[in-house]
Amino acid sequence: MCDRIQRHELLALLNLNFILLSSAFFVAAVGKTAVGQTNSSSSSATIARHFGNADLFEAEVWAKVGERTCLRCHNRQSEAKESKFVLEKSDDSLNDLAMLAHNHAAFRTMATIVTSDQSVLLQKVVGGLDHGGGQVLQPDSTGFKILERFVLRTMSPTGEPIHEGETDAYRPAAFFDGVTMLPPSRLLRRVTLSLAGRLPSTEELKAVEQGGLFAIDSILDSIMREDAFYTRLKEGFNDIFLTVGIEDNAETLLSYDHFEKTRLWYQTHDFSHLPEAEREQAGWKLAEVYRDALLREPLELIAYIVRNERPFSELATADYIMVSPYTARGYGIYDEVKDQFKNSDDPFEYIPARLHALKGRDGKVQESSTGWYPHAGFLSTFHYLRRYPSTETNRNRLRARMFYQHFLGIDIMQLAPRSTDASAVAAKFAIPTMQAADCVVCHTTIDPVAGVFQDFNFQGELGPRDDGWYKDMFPSGFEGEDLPEGERWRATQWLAERTVKDVRFPLAMVEHVYFILLGRKVLQPPEDIDDPTFGSKRRAYLEQRKMIKTVAARLTASSFNLKEAFKAIVATEFYRADGVASATEHPQRQAELDDIGVVRLITPEQMERKLNAIFGKRWGRFQEEYKILYGGIDSITVTERNAEPSGAMGAIQRIMANDVACLNVGPDFHRPAGERKLFSGIESSVVPGDEQSNQNIRETIVRLQEKLLGYKLPLDHPEVDRVFQLFSGIIRDAKALPNFEPRETYFCGGREDFHVEDPHYTVRAWRGVVTYILRQHEFLYE
Amino acid sequence: MSRRTFLKRCSLAGLGFAAPIYWQSVLRATEKTIEAAGYPGPYYAVFNASGGWDTTYLMDPKGVDGINRLYQQSDILTVGNHRIAPIAKHIASGMSNEDFFAKYGSELRVLNGLDLSVNNHTPCARYMATGKLDSLAYPTFPALVAACHGAEAPLAFLTFGNYSATGNLVPMSRVPYLQSLKLLARADSVEGGDNPYQDAFVSDRIERALEQQFEARVSDTRLPRVERSQSMLYAAQANSKALERVVPFIPKELAKERLSQQNDIALAAFKAGVCISANLSIGQFDSHNNNDIDQMKLIPELLAGIDDLLRKAEQLQIRDKLVVVIQSEMGRTPNYNDGNGKDHWSINSIMFLGPGITGNRVIGATDEKQQLIPVSAATLAIDNDGGIRMRPEHIHHALREFANVQDHAFSQQFPLEVPANEKLENVWS
Repeated sequence: MCDRIQRHELLALLNLNFILLSSAFFVAAVGKTAVGQTNSSSSSATIARHFGNADLFEAEVWAKVGERTCLRCHNRQSEAKESKFVLEKSDDSLNDLAMLAHNHAAFRTMATIVTSDQSVLLQKVVGGLDHGGGQVLQPDSTGFKILERFVLRTMSPTGEPIHEGETDAYRPAAFFDGVTMLPPSRLLRRVTLSLAGRLPSTEELKAVEQGGLFAIDSILDSIMREDAFYTRLKEGFNDIFLTVGIEDNAETLLSYDHFEKTRLWYQTHDFSHLPEAEREQAGWKLAEVYRDALLREPLELIAYIVRNERPFSELATADYIMVSPYTARGYGIYDEVKDQFKNSDDPFEYIPARLHALKGRDGKVQESSTGWYPHAGFLSTFHYLRRYPSTETNRNRLRARMFYQHFLGIDIMQLAPRSTDASAVAAKFAIPTMQAADCVVCHTTIDPVAGVFQDFNFQGELGPRDDGWYKDMFPSGFEGEDLPEGERWRATQWLAERTVKDVRFPLAMVEHVYFILLGRKVLQPPEDIDDPTFGSKRRAYLEQRKMIKTVAARLTASSFNLKEAFKAIVATEFYRADGVASATEHPQRQAELDDIGVVRLITPEQMERKLNAIFGKRWGRFQEEYKILYGGIDSITVTERNAEPSGAMGAIQRIMANDVACLNVGPDFHRPAGERKLFSGIESSVVPGDEQSNQNIRETIVRLQEKLLGYKLPLDHPEVDRVFQLFSGIIRDAKALPNFEPRETYFCGGREDFHVEDPHYTVRAWRGVVTYILRQHEFLYE
Repeated sequence: MSRRTFLKRCSLAGLGFAAPIYWQSVLRATEKTIEAAGYPGPYYAVFNASGGWDTTYLMDPKGVDGINRLYQQSDILTVGNHRIAPIAKHIASGMSNEDFFAKYGSELRVLNGLDLSVNNHTPCARYMATGKLDSLAYPTFPALVAACHGAEAPLAFLTFGNYSATGNLVPMSRVPYLQSLKLLARADSVEGGDNPYQDAFVSDRIERALEQQFEARVSDTRLPRVERSQSMLYAAQANSKALERVVPFIPKELAKERLSQQNDIALAAFKAGVCISANLSIGQFDSHNNNDIDQMKLIPELLAGIDDLLRKAEQLQIRDKLVVVIQSEMGRTPNYNDGNGKDHWSINSIMFLGPGITGNRVIGATDEKQQLIPVSAATLAIDNDGGIRMRPEHIHHALREFANVQDHAFSQQFPLEVPANEKLENVWS
């Protein structure tokens, strides 16, 4: 609440200052219209009214019209910077009171200037008075009506707010008021499972018990040194960059022109030490592993940067690639680097290396003043360029688009501006992308970056066009700066140097980390100003932006150590939110909290790791037959994960629960008690009945819940009751049968290896309990 | 628990606000309103020629100004009211326009001269699929209709690619392999065979316990995302049992053609009443190089795939309940580039057939430069002076009316905002 009070106090002060300062100005600006306003400006009632108007301005005029429509051109950098209506931008629209005061004053000024008996503001927005931006609002639109009310309110002699449903009784509290956070022990389980695919260790649990949330930070440092973290990291970044999604054999990433003699090295590999019958098979295996090793290279670059706490800006600027003993052979540099490998037979041991300037089959060597291939992180890897190919008419624009999306967080195609008639524009202009305003607005940004990639052919190989780069495109460059001719040979490096200095770069990197941790993209600003919860959705968006910016600042301050971004996001309320203290019934509050908390359906890959962590072995089916069915991706045609379970996925959850319980419960009882993972505290002879047995069963239920779901309930908790009733009910039903098999089923009781006796039906009842638990939200969601 | 009690609890917990869809789904699943026969139809199949088809080699032929290299103006064929490009002699496999229109022309409604306003894949695909260009939130038509007619069906909205946003109204189902269907259908049996994992009374108790747990959580204090996801999860698992009905309709042999494989899965799901709509898709239409070679391979493949769906639907006796939409995200330019390819063109076409759609009719047109000609919204006749530029929102508005979902709360949640005087009249009759 403190934030809110301070804000209100400040708003009141600003309003008072504004009223005193602006009243004289108003007299001069609009003559008699404003005169009446000066009379009561010092009264507390007026302050209250203007206080209300300032809030109203921010929530209605600014949020729904100014920020979305006017600010695009009317700011200090854009087309209308010379106009009399220049607005201020801010990174914190909700709380930057100076910005709000300035913009409020600017709007009031425009509202009160009258020509032809109508406010200039209202005439301009519909394209009147030669408005440079033409018509930006329809006269019957919600936006126009908001301005109309604003003008009426501003012109009103009493300054009374005009109530037409535009004010809302909802007074928001501090954003996370009433939101409960995960206790540190459960947060620990979340991060160890999410990032390292394991359960917390005893030491970690103890550390958190003693140090609380503060202990998580150092535990994260430790987790981020584990190999499992890098599996997760690479998986997460592949979801973003999709660089393993290469349809052809991976060795084709290495161009025939430059790697003709080396890229197929596996075809002449010596298998003479093997029996002849095995050589063909071995050759296939070698090719398969080599291709896999090649595909992994870009993600290994990310892992290398993060593992060694190098600046993550090397994502764009690294002057090296990662090679393994196998892939180094493909590039023809194995002899140069082989001594650096710890195990030159390991196809997946990666080291940084540089390629020499590439030499074509005609003997021509790539231009390079250093003698090296001008590596620029992902921007110059053959994988990235192949994954986002070009055509004669696309002219690298896809690459430019992906560059903006991946490195600066800008999705140019997200909300494509509508042309009045795209086909007519195409027919009218010789070069629409340079001449038609509808096209120029985007192409002036995209095409220069497309030109930066001009030395790469459609497939991403080094291969400049014979005729030189296209003349009917904006010159190569970045954000208004042309690429100097002397830098063309290292154009992607030139671009990378500018990219990592761009303020959007750390924001984009933090958004990637957010995506990896929470499984969804950051919020977009709300679009529908008629939505009654628009203000709440905007608040949620702005609060999240504030968090992203704070984390980005920490990332930048740490010299782009990406681990800092992981730690910072884990520590935020956005990641730790777990529930609400009381039911949130107000629709505005519901809308504010709509995206809070992780609540993420666990991916097939994560589910395998979780099952392994809990049961000691993977199930295997999530990564094979059910991967796509369970919402996974293949990085080529299926590139986005299913966030919500369909009926098909519900069926897979049932299969998994049935099968995993089947594979684990009977065999667990078959082991000596001391070696069991699930049922170390109970025997299959214990049936419900006497107090001691019931206590034993309840304790076992609590232990199972703790191990499988990560929470510990009291023995008399309703959920423990429910599971107890499930267990005892199954046994009761079994005993009511005329007879039943006194052993577990063939499939769940050891199959050919052993038989699990079950004379009391308790093993099968416990299997039912585990099946039930494995179908829980707490197990299937993060 | 009665419906009223459940409603009350959901309402108290704010579930109705947070998850209107799944709230409904869960209600329906809980009350077992999915009858033994499942969703009775109509079913909606949307074919997507992904990448951008060349409409002038299909339903909007042009034989002038070098727009095409495979035929002249005088070669253009007429089938009823349809004018089609002659391609039979240029194709090696699949189905020609000549055969396709001869067989289905009397049922086909073609709409030419559709203005997309933009010509990039992503926004065009989004615009064609949803009727809304400037929003990422809108559901595709098949997703919307699935949500309105039967979000509780386990494969309500089945997709094999293309833009498939759901607006969070209904889960998206991907079932890429026919074999998978059988395993999913028998989730409680070992390896999808005849041996159940649990005795029936055990399964019943597990399901009852899950139901009780779900009911108990309605009154909990939860974050909106938790509420929503718990509802979705419960619905997904509870509704998945209806997949058992698919088993009798799974073909014994796998089809070879890529669209036929998708058709088989969709048809089995339709017939079993577990699916309302399917997004069927084939790619590689983006013929920037060698347009004619690519389009002459892909258009016949698309048409053969549609024919396959309709023939099999006939065999399954659901043809009279099957609505088919045939579309692509954009057209291709009226000229060739230096690579003998054609680039993106913002003027497009779309075709429909199915129950309630009168065929042998063409709405809209393009001129000799492949520019659209405006049409009267009231009469659908060409109207150069007072006509409108037909855009996806007009088509989607008509589609929503056709599917009788225009007034559904989900449609209201994603309004198309077509002005009254631009609403197309009598599109289907």
